[in-house]
Amino acid sequence: MANPRQVARSGLDALLKAGADKAQCVATFTEKHELNVELGEFTLLRTTFDARVGLTAIKDNRRGSTSINKSDDESIDKAAGEVLAIAAASAPDEAFDIAESQPPAEFSSGSDSPDLDKMHSSMKHLIQQVKGKYPKLVIMQAIMDFTHSRSCFVNSNNVDFVTNKGVYNCTFLFSSRDEDKVSSFNYTTFSLRDLERDLLECGSLDILFKQSTEQIVTKPLEGKFVGDVIITPDCMNDLLFFIERTLSDGPMISGTSIYKDKLGQQIANPMFTLHSRPVSDEICNGYFVTSDGYAAQNSTIIESGVLKSYLLSLYGARKTGLDRAVNMGGAYVVDPGDTSLDHMIKSVERGILLARFSGGYPSDNGDFSGVAKNSYLIENGEIKYPISESMISGNFAEMLKNIKAISKERIDYGFSILPWIQVSGITISGK
Amino acid sequence: MSLNLQDYAKYFSGYTELRAQENRIVQVAFVKGNNTVNSRSATSGISARVYMDGSWGFASNPEISDQAAKAVIQAATDNAIFLDSKERKAKGPLPKVPVRSENDFSTKKPRLAQKELVDFMRELDDHIAATYPNLASRTVALNCLDMEKMLVTSDGSYSYSLVPRTIISISLSFIKDGEPVEFGKPYGGLGHFEDLFSSPEDLFDKVEEQYHHLMKKSEGVFPEAGLKTCVLDAELAGILAHEAIGHTTEADMVLTGSVAQGKVGQLVASPLVTLVDFAHSFNGATCPVPVYVDDEGTEAKDAVLIQDGILKGYMHNKESAGHFGVEPTGNARAYQFSDEPLIRMRNTAILPGTDRLEDMIASIDDGYYLIQPSNGQADSTSEFMFGITLGYEIKNGKLGRAIKDTTISGVAFDMLKTVTMVSSDMKWTNAGMCGKKQPIPVGMGGPAIKCKINIGGR
Repeated sequence: MANPRQVARSGLDALLKAGADKAQCVATFTEKHELNVELGEFTLLRTTFDARVGLTAIKDNRRGSTSINKSDDESIDKAAGEVLAIAAASAPDEAFDIAESQPPAEFSSGSDSPDLDKMHSSMKHLIQQVKGKYPKLVIMQAIMDFTHSRSCFVNSNNVDFVTNKGVYNCTFLFSSRDEDKVSSFNYTTFSLRDLERDLLECGSLDILFKQSTEQIVTKPLEGKFVGDVIITPDCMNDLLFFIERTLSDGPMISGTSIYKDKLGQQIANPMFTLHSRPVSDEICNGYFVTSDGYAAQNSTIIESGVLKSYLLSLYGARKTGLDRAVNMGGAYVVDPGDTSLDHMIKSVERGILLARFSGGYPSDNGDFSGVAKNSYLIENGEIKYPISESMISGNFAEMLKNIKAISKERIDYGFSILPWIQVSGITISGK
Repeated sequence: MSLNLQDYAKYFSGYTELRAQENRIVQVAFVKGNNTVNSRSATSGISARVYMDGSWGFASNPEISDQAAKAVIQAATDNAIFLDSKERKAKGPLPKVPVRSENDFSTKKPRLAQKELVDFMRELDDHIAATYPNLASRTVALNCLDMEKMLVTSDGSYSYSLVPRTIISISLSFIKDGEPVEFGKPYGGLGHFEDLFSSPEDLFDKVEEQYHHLMKKSEGVFPEAGLKTCVLDAELAGILAHEAIGHTTEADMVLTGSVAQGKVGQLVASPLVTLVDFAHSFNGATCPVPVYVDDEGTEAKDAVLIQDGILKGYMHNKESAGHFGVEPTGNARAYQFSDEPLIRMRNTAILPGTDRLEDMIASIDDGYYLIQPSNGQADSTSEFMFGITLGYEIKNGKLGRAIKDTTISGVAFDMLKTVTMVSSDMKWTNAGMCGKKQPIPVGMGGPAIKCKINIGGR
């Protein structure tokens, strides 16, 4: 088994020998064991080994990088030479830099090896449970993997970080069927440190399985109205992705981010607090080192509705003159509110419970539109029926300001912890 | 690809596929004049997949060596044995369809160095900056992907392929009333950079057209939400073919209960609609993603999905073909060396009709002409959606104001019955990646079609 530190060191040495002023190298060795289920039957056991050696050099303020999946000296020496040639081709930019010196550290989380029998028996147990509890549910595809990675990040400023991480990941794609009627598919994913709990108790699996069987018969919405939407935790990704993208290097450097001058200002309802906690104990699938070579720290991005941090890399920070973020985002944790989900539903005069959103990429200004999938009509405080052929449109930035309630309940996905969020002012249209 | 994989057939103990593969990526990007991306990467290795009475084992290794080849065959066999010992499915053998093929689409011209690629992109960026000073920002990005594969199977199949794809994406941003408005478009397709782009000047007219649309879009209005009569331009018809019908007719999706299950022989679309997943050629020309032999070693054949409105069949790998009692179509494709083949589309297209685009627009009193798609998604119910980044109102048979970004949706088997006109021209695209456990390049094609569709708006 290759030693990530030895490989990373030889990559760094090769880059410096090839003439780099500044250089960094990250070597990662990954082993994955993956069980696949289709139509409720085990179909495939997959074992993959991979290596990844990422090399970056800066010379005369010009930067180049490459990535190979070979770790022998000959391949690394050849790649290092190519990196310098790529750097020589680049446009010079004084903002190119590498992380400054930090104390060396070793990080670890999770186990070193999978329990294959336990993976098989956990999944088998779930399949049996589903047959009894949700006989109309079809597990179209279930994937459980154990991924173990060993990684080392070094640079010419003496940064030296070693990471060992093992985690189980589960992804489920499912629909429900009754004779010739089929529900929309739905999916969810979560990460686990171990396999001690029943899978049905993990993430939002049980909630979504139950909903799927209710969604075999749907009704299209008629007409158009502006109403409330309760966004489920599984449906929060689009909103989080919009926030993350708008605060990141690209829109901030180009000056097109709608939040470019909003640091310290209210951009969301005071109920909304968003953290990025990649090194928190409550997150089993986080990360320890940023891609530019800093030990990751937890941060609060939006606190009581106030923008506290951008998500700028070292390069983005130097280009904009703003602070570098202490992490790369992700591992999102949204603080719970003080309203129960039941109470939230009761407060809706007319709106929908949005369980999946299938829409076009949002515009840079936050405008979005798409189909409300696996969703329900709420009228006079009651869930009426599952809907189909219904679209919603709004603006993410406005939506953050129009938050009416956040649930006490949250779902723990292992890589994020999210509540239900009620927002107003969304255009909901049917046929 | 220095290893002769055929030497390892003697280590196969049952149905086995052995594949060596390298994916090479070159990326260059300028964001508002800053050279933010300048990189090359290569990912290669060897994998084996073994079938045992209904259970599959797979293993991969990043080394392409004698030792690695033997190791992955052994590990994949062990995985199949492990799963078979737990499941005992006792399913029969897979269809046997041996074939031999070699296809290399690499350029015959000398390859450009990274500096020449960077200089090309910088010249393109400089031109945009100088010509359109009122833009808030622009991004020009080059993305080149080479997929080189060698495969042998225990059936006796052998194939080698090298399929390059080169895409230049140009995105322009304008600030209107303090808010950003963006319009991006990809150019390129099958082939190496040297065969597709000779000079930045070749793209200047396209940038001009893109800028013109952006200015109109910056004055754009929200479409009126609801069911509308629309002309979907060729690129939208392509993504419609892929998302709305293609996914529901992948045999693994059919088996999991997609709406296409049990509908072969039924009228599912207007008789004007014929839809085919082409293997490698259409009308004598090579399609954007040519597949001659798939990653299970099956000769790739065209899969006719809808003919004159009637559902004719599905796309298959060996296992699904065995299940349905038909010939495999050669749709099993894997993205990386470490990925197992899945049923994937290749070049999915609605075939052209006889109408003219101008007549189609002129025939609508109140509707929309939708031109540029972004992302899309399908559903088991055949309800689909895709994002629209460029479109115009149609009022009294004439184009009106541009519209803001929106999303359209429909139930494919209902919506396709509303098709009343199909244009005689046809466009192919392959800039995107289809996602289904793994990403993979796909080709999409079509003419313009007139139909009724739900549009998101205010």
